Amino acid sequence: MNILKDKVAKLSFVALLITLTAAMFYTPTASAHGEKSQAAFMRMRTIHWFDLNWSKEEVAVNDTMTISGKFFVFSGWPETVDKPEISFLNIGIPGPVFIRAGSWIGGQLVPRSVSLELGETYEFKVLLKARRPGDWHVHTMLNVKGGGPIIGPGKWVTVTGSMGSFVNPITTLTGETLDLETYNLSNTYFWHALWYGLGLLWVAYWARKPLFIPRSIAVEAGKGDSLITPLDKKVTLGFAVGTILIVAVSMSSTNEKYPITVPLQAGLLRGIKSLELPAPTVAVKIEDATYRVPGRAMQMTMTITNNGDSPVRLGEFNTAGVRFMDAAVAQDETGYPDDLLAEEGLTSSDNSPIAPGQSKTIQVTASDAAWEVYRLADLIYDPDSRFAGLLFFFDAAGNRQMVTIDAPLIPTFI
Amino acid sequence: MSASQSAVRSRAEAVKVSRTFDWLILFTLFFVVLGGYHIHYMLTGGDWDFWTDWKDRRLWVTVAPIVSITFPAAVQACLWWRYRLPFGAVVCILGLLLGEWINRYLNFWGWTYFPVNFCFPSNLFPGAIVLDAVLLLTGSMTVTAVLGGMAYGLLFYPGNWPIIAPLHVPVEYNGMVMTLADLQGYHYVRTGTPEYIRMVEKGTLRTFGKDVAPVSAFFSAFVSILIYFLWHFFGQWFASTKFVEAA
Repeated sequence: MNILKDKVAKLSFVALLITLTAAMFYTPTASAHGEKSQAAFMRMRTIHWFDLNWSKEEVAVNDTMTISGKFFVFSGWPETVDKPEISFLNIGIPGPVFIRAGSWIGGQLVPRSVSLELGETYEFKVLLKARRPGDWHVHTMLNVKGGGPIIGPGKWVTVTGSMGSFVNPITTLTGETLDLETYNLSNTYFWHALWYGLGLLWVAYWARKPLFIPRSIAVEAGKGDSLITPLDKKVTLGFAVGTILIVAVSMSSTNEKYPITVPLQAGLLRGIKSLELPAPTVAVKIEDATYRVPGRAMQMTMTITNNGDSPVRLGEFNTAGVRFMDAAVAQDETGYPDDLLAEEGLTSSDNSPIAPGQSKTIQVTASDAAWEVYRLADLIYDPDSRFAGLLFFFDAAGNRQMVTIDAPLIPTFI
Repeated sequence: MSASQSAVRSRAEAVKVSRTFDWLILFTLFFVVLGGYHIHYMLTGGDWDFWTDWKDRRLWVTVAPIVSITFPAAVQACLWWRYRLPFGAVVCILGLLLGEWINRYLNFWGWTYFPVNFCFPSNLFPGAIVLDAVLLLTGSMTVTAVLGGMAYGLLFYPGNWPIIAPLHVPVEYNGMVMTLADLQGYHYVRTGTPEYIRMVEKGTLRTFGKDVAPVSAFFSAFVSILIYFLWHFFGQWFASTKFVEAA
């Protein structure tokens, strides 16, 4: 019986090893950026991205595409995240599969960090040049110092062609045109090879003699100084003087070859121009908001007051980049990513036009699998269970108004 | 053969065994130093050594020698104290640079496609050679700490200038002045390394105008002396046999 048990144990162990080894061959590509793992409140209450447009879904190596749109820096920024006083407009891609050929906020180039104001809306654009073929999830992204990366919506973009053909021509202020992809490479290899060779020579000089045991015996016997010969000292002096000479001469010749150099450029860019939007004429008060866990739906009771001069209807609720639309009022025509678009995900108890001067309390439901897929439902586990988002109202002429909302959220489990 | 008898039967055999032992120890030393020193330098020098747009004339010049003189000091102390061998610093840099080049080429370029001209390591050889030379010529760890440590810090920037100078040529890019190194950092997207993390050109050395690199190098050289003292004690402590003698 014991023999049988031993055999079963051994075979089980072998099976376990085979399974583990086989698992090593399953290595799917990690192409996305963990956007779903980022805390829901971070995505719902910090940066609201909207009007996003990816100019192409397929682009050849060396061709360019843009991501443009707007982002609203939420007024009710959570206390647990540092304010975006030092931020950087980044792009969420898996390494340099594109190069960032340009990025602008409010029309200003932003290669460096910027200071943003709460409650302001900014227009941005990122110009990308395709470098490495593949299917890449391309996200908008803002890094906030003390807050981490705040990742926005992403869309799959296909890059075709060959990376070998990628070029990155740049013209310097000294008039030289170069390919930044390979520039200075042979110079780098040359100097590193030269110095590595000198280092090897130095060790080889000593390694040709007996090293450890005889020398240890000599040192232990108090004859350590006899191990260093006059020739050793001359060779060493030669290495030292040679090293200093190479450094001095190479530095001097480099300065002659590159007489104009400047230090690295750094510093915070302030005064970024925000978008001047007209004050909304629609006011919204959230009476209550619940999230029904089994139904993957958020229900809000809101009182809407139209202080404008034309009737309006609620057409969209945007939170964490997920767009819940009322198809009867507004439809997406920008090719927004399907997984982030609930085309008929917004329903109202009464979505008839709200006349100028009228105030109406309605129940609005935002329901879609995206609540689960994008782990926004995890908001109910946050220490500060509040939600936030953008509401878009439309009049008959298609004019749009944006209103921000921010309120507590009560989960219901039955 | 009893336990008290020698395992070798002739002088020639003893020499052969001794040389085999030499190569085994040297090989092991090289790769142990490569691993330990590489991790140490990545954790302490990190981005300053990874990217060209971190290799500035203030903080890179200051930080890199200070954090990299550690292992050379310790290994020098061990090899000199026990064997009168003066190649401790260079063997460390040989190991570190080999490890770094493997990492930069296979990982940075091979896996994530950052161009090598953007992520090559710093050159630490000039300082290391002089550090070893001072030790041999003076035979004093104290003088090596002062003169060698000073030289180690001072030679760092000029030893790297021929490699990085071409990347400091200015460019006008969409209405802003940048160096080619800045442009590399901007073009080759590092999702997890936003620009504000970059610690370059910070400090209060503004009264020296554009000539801050020598001032930074002198400060670095001074601190390198102190770090050399500290780490050469670590080397001596690690090279002690009193732990096994007690057993």
